[in-house]
Amino acid sequence: MERMPADSPVTLSAWLRTRSDEQLGALLAARPDVARPAPSDVVALASRLAVPVSVDRALDELDAGTLQVLDAVLLADTDGVDPADLVGALPELPDAVREAAVERLTTRALLWGDDRLRAPEPVRRAVRHPAGLGRRAAELRLSLPADLAAAVGELPADERDVLQRLAGDRPVGHLPETPNGSPSPARRLLQRGLLARVDALTVELPREVGLLLRGDRPHGPPRLQPEPAVVSRDPAVLDRQAAGAALESVGRVGELLGLLEDEPAGLLRSGGIGVRDQKRLARALHVTEPEAAWLLELASVAGLLDVGGPHRDEWLPTRAFDLWREQDLPDRWATLAAGWLDAVRLPSLAGQRDVSGKAVNALSPDLVRHTAPAVRRAALDALAGYPPGSGPAPDDLVELLRWRSPRRADRLAPVPDVLAEAARLGVVVGGVLSTAGRGLLAGGPDGAADGMRGLLPEPVDHVLAQPDLSLVAPGPLVAELADTLAVVADVESSGGATVYRVSDGSVRRALDAGWSATDLHEFLARASRTPVPQALDYLVDDVARQHGRLRVGAIESYVRSDDHGLLSQVLGDRRTAAAELRRLAPGVLVSGLGADEVLTVLREAGYAPAGESPGGAVLTRPPARPRAAGRRPGAPGPVAPRPLTPDELAATVREVRAGDAALSARRTEPVRQVPGVTTAGTLELLSRAVREGTPVWLGYVDAQGSGSQRVVRPVSLAGGFLQGYDDRRGEARTFAVHRITSVALVEEEAPAAEDRWTP
Amino acid sequence: MNDGPLIVQSDKTLLLEVDHPAARDCRAAIAPFAELERSPEHVHTYRVTPLALWNARAAGHDAEQVVDALVRFSRYPVPHALLVDVADTMDRFGRLTLANNPVHGLVLTTSDRAVLEEVVRSKRVAPMLGQRIDDDTVVVHPSERGRLKQALLKIGWPAEDLAGYVDGQAHPIELAEEGWSLRDYQREAVDGFWSGGSGVVVLPCGAGKTLVGAAAMAEARATTLILVTNTVAGRQWKRELIARTSLTEEEIGEYSGERKEIRPVTIATYQVITTRRKGEYRHLDLFDAQDWGLIVYDEVHLLPAPIFRLTADLQSRRRLGLTATLVREDGREDDVFSLIGPKRYDAPWRDIESQGYIAPAECIEVRVSLDDEERMTYAVAEPEERYRIAATASSKLPVIRRVLERHPGEQKLVIGAYLDQLEELGTALDAPVIQGSTTNREREKLFDAFRAGDIRTLVVSKVANFSIDLPEAAVAVQVSGTFGSRQEEAQRLGRVLRPKADGRQAHFYTVVSRDTLDAEYAAHRQRFLAEQGYAYTIVDADDLAGPGEVNGPDRVDEPAD
Repeated sequence: MERMPADSPVTLSAWLRTRSDEQLGALLAARPDVARPAPSDVVALASRLAVPVSVDRALDELDAGTLQVLDAVLLADTDGVDPADLVGALPELPDAVREAAVERLTTRALLWGDDRLRAPEPVRRAVRHPAGLGRRAAELRLSLPADLAAAVGELPADERDVLQRLAGDRPVGHLPETPNGSPSPARRLLQRGLLARVDALTVELPREVGLLLRGDRPHGPPRLQPEPAVVSRDPAVLDRQAAGAALESVGRVGELLGLLEDEPAGLLRSGGIGVRDQKRLARALHVTEPEAAWLLELASVAGLLDVGGPHRDEWLPTRAFDLWREQDLPDRWATLAAGWLDAVRLPSLAGQRDVSGKAVNALSPDLVRHTAPAVRRAALDALAGYPPGSGPAPDDLVELLRWRSPRRADRLAPVPDVLAEAARLGVVVGGVLSTAGRGLLAGGPDGAADGMRGLLPEPVDHVLAQPDLSLVAPGPLVAELADTLAVVADVESSGGATVYRVSDGSVRRALDAGWSATDLHEFLARASRTPVPQALDYLVDDVARQHGRLRVGAIESYVRSDDHGLLSQVLGDRRTAAAELRRLAPGVLVSGLGADEVLTVLREAGYAPAGESPGGAVLTRPPARPRAAGRRPGAPGPVAPRPLTPDELAATVREVRAGDAALSARRTEPVRQVPGVTTAGTLELLSRAVREGTPVWLGYVDAQGSGSQRVVRPVSLAGGFLQGYDDRRGEARTFAVHRITSVALVEEEAPAAEDRWTP
Repeated sequence: MNDGPLIVQSDKTLLLEVDHPAARDCRAAIAPFAELERSPEHVHTYRVTPLALWNARAAGHDAEQVVDALVRFSRYPVPHALLVDVADTMDRFGRLTLANNPVHGLVLTTSDRAVLEEVVRSKRVAPMLGQRIDDDTVVVHPSERGRLKQALLKIGWPAEDLAGYVDGQAHPIELAEEGWSLRDYQREAVDGFWSGGSGVVVLPCGAGKTLVGAAAMAEARATTLILVTNTVAGRQWKRELIARTSLTEEEIGEYSGERKEIRPVTIATYQVITTRRKGEYRHLDLFDAQDWGLIVYDEVHLLPAPIFRLTADLQSRRRLGLTATLVREDGREDDVFSLIGPKRYDAPWRDIESQGYIAPAECIEVRVSLDDEERMTYAVAEPEERYRIAATASSKLPVIRRVLERHPGEQKLVIGAYLDQLEELGTALDAPVIQGSTTNREREKLFDAFRAGDIRTLVVSKVANFSIDLPEAAVAVQVSGTFGSRQEEAQRLGRVLRPKADGRQAHFYTVVSRDTLDAEYAAHRQRFLAEQGYAYTIVDADDLAGPGEVNGPDRVDEPAD
C-alpha cells in the first residue's frame, strides 16, 4: 500500500495540473469564487483554493453524508488515505454513496490525490472538529495517562457523564462556575488531565478520549440522505390551487398599492411603515395586520413600493407599478414571485420583537437578512428534487435541508416561514412545488409566468349592472376599466371577481372628477353587459341634478371687461394662446397663469390691459398621481451571483492552462517594466523576437486589469502594438506594448510539457 | 380553465351567475353551507360564515364536500388559504358534544381534551357547567342547554347537540289535503326542518308559511304552542289550521289579551307573553302548561328579547321559526340561529314567483317634489322631526290619489306609519282606516268587507304589516314607514304577493319626498327589494302615466281589444 508511483503528484498544484480540462471546469463550476477573475495559472488557482473563506464556502455546500466521508479522511492516522481504506471507517456506507462522496470532494479539491486521498491544510483547519471529535492530546498540549482505558474506566459516574456528553457532537464545553465547596466534575477531569482547557471558560475533549468512548464505531451510523414520506397530489389540482393563491396575491397587492396611491403611508424615522398606517391598510383590505405587513413587504421587494414624495418621507407606489398593472396576470405574478425569491428581506420578521423587546416594523431595514435568498433557494431546490406533484411533509423538509447543508443548519430557522410565504404566493401548495414554482426556480420570472399561463383568468372588459346598484366584474378587469370604476363606484368585495357599488357618494365623486352625467350614462351602458337598471340611471341624474349648482374654485388671474366683444376678440386671438385664457362667465376670462404672465402675453399681443388686485383661476386638471422614483423599471434588484456558463468555464480553464504553460516555458531572464512605461529593453527584445520568429514569454495586464502570462509568437511590432499568435490559446492577438509587464525569450527546442513538469 | 357559474371571493362571499346553465346544480351544492345574502337579477351573493359551515356539519356535510363544491363550480382558482380556513372552521364543530348520560343526565363530552379544558376555563361558559365526571365529560345544568350552546358558539367551539328532543304529549294531527296539496318547496322546507330537529324556515310572504307550520305539526303529532305577533294573525292561523288539518275548533285555543284558553294546540301572542305586571312576566307558565312537542314561532325576526331568554330554556323541545326575512334591524340574527336553530330552508323569492306561487310584483318609487313652503319647513326642522315632516308632506296626497286612480278596479292598500297622516288620507280618499286602536272586531269586519270586494281601498297603519291575509290586495301604496326598516318593506310587499285568482300582476308603490331623508330611507329599503330580485323603477310624480297611457298600467277592468 505504501508503494507510491514515481510520477504521482506530490502537491495540490501538481495534482491539479494532472486533471483534465473537464475536471478543472467542474472544479471552477463547483467553486465559482475561485474562477473570478480567471486565475493566471495552476499555482494561483491552488492558492485561491486555500483561501479560508473559499474553503468554508465549499464545505458549507456539502451534505452530511459527504462531510462524514471527509471526516473519515481527516481522522485517518496518516496523511493520505487509500480510498479503499475508507470502507473500514464507514463499513455500513454503500459503496456507490462513498464513491460519489469522494468524487464530490475531489472535484471540489477539498481532497486531492488519485491513489491516496489527501486533505489540504486549509480544509483541516476549516473542519475544526471532524466527526465531532476534539483535537489530539498532543495538539492540546496534554499528556494523557498511559492506560487511558483504565483511567476512564475508574472515573466516578458524574465525571464519565461529562466525558460522554463531550464525546457526542461537540467536543467543546463550557466550564460551569464553581460553587464554593467541591469542584465540579469538569474541573476534576481537568485536574486528571482528561480534559484540556482551551481558555478560561472552555474545555475540549482530546480526540483519543473521544475515540475511546465511542468504541469501535467512531463515526456512528452512516448519514444517509433522509427519505421522508412523500406527499403526492394531483398536479392539475395543485396548480389550480397555486393559481388561486397567485390571483389572491396579485389582487391584494394591487389593492394595497391603490390605497397607498390615494393616501400614502408615512416613513418612520427608523425606516419602516408606522403601525397606524399598517392597521389602516389592514382594515381597508379586510385582512389581518400580519397579512398587511406581508403584502407591504411583497410589494416592496417586487419594486412596486418605495419611499418617495416631495420630501422623500412617504411610502408610495413606484413607476414600476404603473407598468406592472398594465401587464397580464401571469407576468404580474411572476414579478412578485421573482422579487420575493431574490429578496434579501425576511418579511416574516415584521411584527416580531427584537432583542430590546421592540416590535420590528414592516418595511424597516431591520428585516434585511442577506442569507434570505440562499435559504429560500435551498428550501425550494430541495422541493424541486421531487417529481412534479409530490413533496415531503413540511417538517421533514427541514430535516432534509439539515442533511443537505449541515454546516448551515443555523440558517434554517426561517424555513417554515419561507414555506408559508411560498404558499401564500402559490409557489408551493401544501408543501409541494407548483408548476409555476418550478418555472420560477428554473427560469426566473419568465419561467414563473409561463407556469401560470392558462391558469389565471383572462381579464374581462365588462361588468354586470344589477338593480341593487351593484356592478359585478366577473373576473379581473382590464386596467383601464378598473381605473374608471375606482372613480365611479366603491369596491365592496374583491377576489376573482370584483363587486362595485354605485352610491350617490361615488357618483358625486365621479362628477367631482370631471365626469358629466352623460359621460356616466354612456360609460355604464358601454361597460355593462346587462341592461343598465333604470334605478341606476335615475341615481346618476338625481345626483347630477344637484351637483355643481354652486361652483367653487381658486384662481390665479382673471381678465375682465365690460366690453364683451373685446373679451371675445382676446379669447379668439391666436397670439394670446400662451395666456391659457378661458371664459368663466360673460365679461370674465380666467387663466391658470399668474397675473404677471397674462399681462405680458396680452401686452405683447398689442392689447392694453391694466393689472388689478389679485384674482384666481379654475383648476382644470386633476393633480398627477404621486409616484416614487423607485428602481428603474427592468433594472435588476440585488441578486445572487450569476452561475458561470459552460463557455465561460471553458475559457477560464483555457486561461489557466495557458498561464501554466507560460509559467513552465523555459525562458531568458525577463525584462521587467512598469506598465505604461515602455523601456528600451522591452522593445529590443520584442523586435528581436519578431525578427527571429522566436516565441516570447509575456507578462500582460489586460484592459480589465487582470494579469496573465502567455507565450506568444510575435508577428509584427508597430505603432505601440505587438501582433502575435498565442499557441496555447489558439488565437492571434494584438497586445498593447504599454500593458506588457515583462518579456523574456523562450528557448524553443524544449517545448513545454506540463505532465513532466515539477515545481 | 373551468367555466363554472361560481366566483369565490377573498372575503368568503360566493357570486353565483344565475343565467349560467350549471347555476341550479351549483345552488343546490352550496346552499347547505352558504347563506343567501342577496339575489338580484343576474348575480346572487352567498356568504360562507362559520355558523353556516357548522350548520352544514350538523346536517351531515363534511369539509371535503364543501371544498369539492367550491372547487368544482368555481370559475377561477380558489385561494388555497380559503379552503384551508373552511376545513379548519368545520373541524371545530363536534369536538364537543351535548349528550344524555344515563347516570348524570345532560353532559358535555369531548373528543379533544384540550378543547374541553379551554371551554371549562372560559369565564363565559364555566357557570353553566356542573361537576366534572372524568377527563372528557362534564355535567351540564339542563336549564342551561340553550345558553351553553350560545356561549360555546361565541367562543368558537360549537357543540353538537345529540341530547335529542322530548316527544311531548302526543296529539293526532293530520293534513287534510283535499283539493290542494303541499307545494314542493313547502314539503322540502318541512323535511329540512324535521331532519334537522329545530330551525328556521325562510319563505317570502304569501308563499304559505302557515302550511309549513301545519305540516310540521302533522309530522310531530304532538301538542303544539304557536307564537304569533298579534290576535288577528292568531285567528288567521286558527282558520287556516281548521281548514287544512284534521284539527277542530275545540282543539285550538287562543291565548291572548282577550281569552286565555289552553288547548292541545294553543296560539299565543308575543304581546301577552311579554306582558309584565309588577315587574314580573305573568304568563310564563304557559310554556309549562302542557308538555309541548313543538313550538312554532311565527315572524321569528320579530321575536322580542324576553322570549329569546325564555327560548333558551326550551332547548329540549322542537322549535320551528317562520319568517319572510331573517334581517333583523337589531342585528340579533345569530341569536335566532343559536336559540331557535339554524336556517333549514331558504329560497330566492323570484324562484317561487316563477313557479307561480306568489304574484309577480312591479315595484315603483314615485318621487314627489315638495312645494317651497314644505321645503322651508323641512330645512329648518329639528333633525328628529325631519323624517316625519318629509314623510307626511301634504304634497304627497294628490300623487297618492293619482296612483290609486291608475288601478280603478283593484283592491288597494294605503300603508303608512303616522296616524295623523292616515286619518287625513282616510278622509281625503274616503276610505276606512285601520290602526292600533281599531278593535279586533272592527278590523275583522273591515278585512272581510275588503276580501269580499265591498271596500276597494283600505288605509292601514303598521298593524297591518304582518300576518293578515288579504289575498285580493293587488296594489299597495306605501306613504311613510319606520325609517329604513328593510323587514318592514318585505312585509308590506308581502301584502300584495299572494297569488291572484287571475294571475294578475301586483303593484307596489312607494311615495317619497325628493331630496329629503324620506328618499334616503327609501333607497335603503329599496336596495333590500333589489337584493331580493325585484327590479324597481323610479318615476317622477309628474311623469306618472295614467291607465292606458304610455308607460301606464293596462286597463285591467276593461276587456282588451
